Amino acid sequence: MWSRNVASACRQRTKAVCLRAPSRSLASVAETTSTTASPAPSSSTSDAGNAPNVVLNAAVVLNRSPILTRTPTLFERAYYAYQSRIQRALFNPFPTDFYFKTGSLLEKKFAKEEKLREREAFGGPWTLKRRKQGPTQLDEDGILIASTDQTENMGEEPIEAPAPRIHESDRTGDVKSLDRMGERNLYLLIRAKDHTGKEVWRFPQGGLQEGEFLHQAALRDLQAECGVNMDTWIVGKKPIAVYQPSLPESVKKTLGGELYTFFLKAHILAGQVRPDGKNVTDFAWLTKQEIEPRVEKDYWASVKDILSDF
Amino acid sequence: MSAQAAVRSPRLVSTAGRSVRRTKPAPTVKPLKRDEKGVPIPHVNVIVRDTHRSRLADHYHTTLQDDLMYMTYVHEPTPRKPPRPPRLSYDPNDPYTKHRYNPPLGGNRWSKQPPPPSAPDNIVQLERIQIHTMLKNATSSRVNLLGPIMALRAISGANEKAGGQHTAEGVELVRGRKNIQGWVRPGIPVGVKVDLKGPQMYDFLSVLVEFVLPRLRDFQGVLMEGPSSRLDKMSAASGVVSFGLPPTALGLFPQIEVNMDAYPQTFGMHIHFMTNAKGVGAQNRARALLSGFQIPFARS
Repeated sequence: MWSRNVASACRQRTKAVCLRAPSRSLASVAETTSTTASPAPSSSTSDAGNAPNVVLNAAVVLNRSPILTRTPTLFERAYYAYQSRIQRALFNPFPTDFYFKTGSLLEKKFAKEEKLREREAFGGPWTLKRRKQGPTQLDEDGILIASTDQTENMGEEPIEAPAPRIHESDRTGDVKSLDRMGERNLYLLIRAKDHTGKEVWRFPQGGLQEGEFLHQAALRDLQAECGVNMDTWIVGKKPIAVYQPSLPESVKKTLGGELYTFFLKAHILAGQVRPDGKNVTDFAWLTKQEIEPRVEKDYWASVKDILSDF
Repeated sequence: MSAQAAVRSPRLVSTAGRSVRRTKPAPTVKPLKRDEKGVPIPHVNVIVRDTHRSRLADHYHTTLQDDLMYMTYVHEPTPRKPPRPPRLSYDPNDPYTKHRYNPPLGGNRWSKQPPPPSAPDNIVQLERIQIHTMLKNATSSRVNLLGPIMALRAISGANEKAGGQHTAEGVELVRGRKNIQGWVRPGIPVGVKVDLKGPQMYDFLSVLVEFVLPRLRDFQGVLMEGPSSRLDKMSAASGVVSFGLPPTALGLFPQIEVNMDAYPQTFGMHIHFMTNAKGVGAQNRARALLSGFQIPFARS
């Protein structure tokens, strides 16, 4: 079932039976009393006698939110066009003499544009007559490019044509560009070593230092792995998901205990990732559907609920 | 007779596909009835719904809602204690007390109530925006209210019963309620207000954020109270954020800017953002929402 954001996905899930899994997103289990001891973030490895040793990691789900509104479906477009025609037919008459001096250039311009809008809404036999394609031209998306003629624009600056909705990087398949897929939520995935030393695709992450909070560690680790050339904002101070791999005893011994990776959400506001090339070899800005084939199965199970479907 | 029929029959066959003769007279189109203003009344109740997608509403649903859920989440591992019974128990079978409202002792103290538990259902959301202005000289002559009425109509685009929606109230008059010597009397119009909901609300918000606030001189952001102010005051617990705009801001709305000289006087306005946040500290959650819509807040 698709849902347009994480909140609505949570809403659906809380109505369904909530299962307890070792890896899960945190916000979805507010009502199941979680008994997994969330260890104090200040101590990286707890040294109490009977408590198991834990190793904490902070990972950042760096999100580029949509920069374009969603393209309306055919049905939506027809619906909105129909409603605007009704509105145009029913609205109160526009008080032209309140807004314009009679006989002024502005009034003439408005009347001309209004006539065009009226034709566009209701059509008529006169719509068959095409306007001369001289000064006005349509770009590839069918959007009117403003004419550069000064008499038509009444001395105003010509309006710049909007950028096309499909970016160059969508055609070339460049996954490193931040301009790709403007209507979708993108997430940063980097190619680096995981806890077993294997090279995998994962979110930027790192360990906690002594006396450090999760959100501070997340920001520091993000800068350590992706460079300082980014302007980011960590959303809140709370983790939104946890990843707890089932490790064999030998790995646990070398790590120093049970491994917990907490995910924090962040937004990128400016800049771009600059991998150092040694620890981090590659990066990609991907949608949720593109992330799934790249990551491990249990890793995907813990993060899939915190990623937005669209 | 039979020969005539034989001649006529092939012609009948040839015209069987399309009937030339009308079976019914053409319908006479009756002109629509007209109301007292001369405007035609349609046959059905036409109601105008959304005419376009709202960009800020999209932004709320794709980005802000998730972020606000994470930011305002309070972890409560155990269920809450049920509220204390309002009064010492009484006999519910007593027909006198059975269906009677039993108010809690000492009032319900709504501003002291804790916020509802964090859930995806009660993420803070903008419900409506109210624009309100009061003019001192409206008490001397109510004609002075015409300018504000026109200006608010231009700014908000709201109209009474607009689009056939009977809940659309448009620009309303605010009447005085108290008798204050030399200023206001009960029943006289002293100001105007307009309530905005839905796409209109988001349109107004985007105009405010993109055209008005950036061009306002000496505007450092909406001032907040200091951190020492209590979170269970009425204003802090009702989930409403209000601020005022000076008279100079009126000319910055593009709807007013095009014919500024048509308005005889400028006036400031109060803007109230009403959200669904409730309980202690609700105003802070409403501010978090509004700052997501890029309204700047500043510490005083």
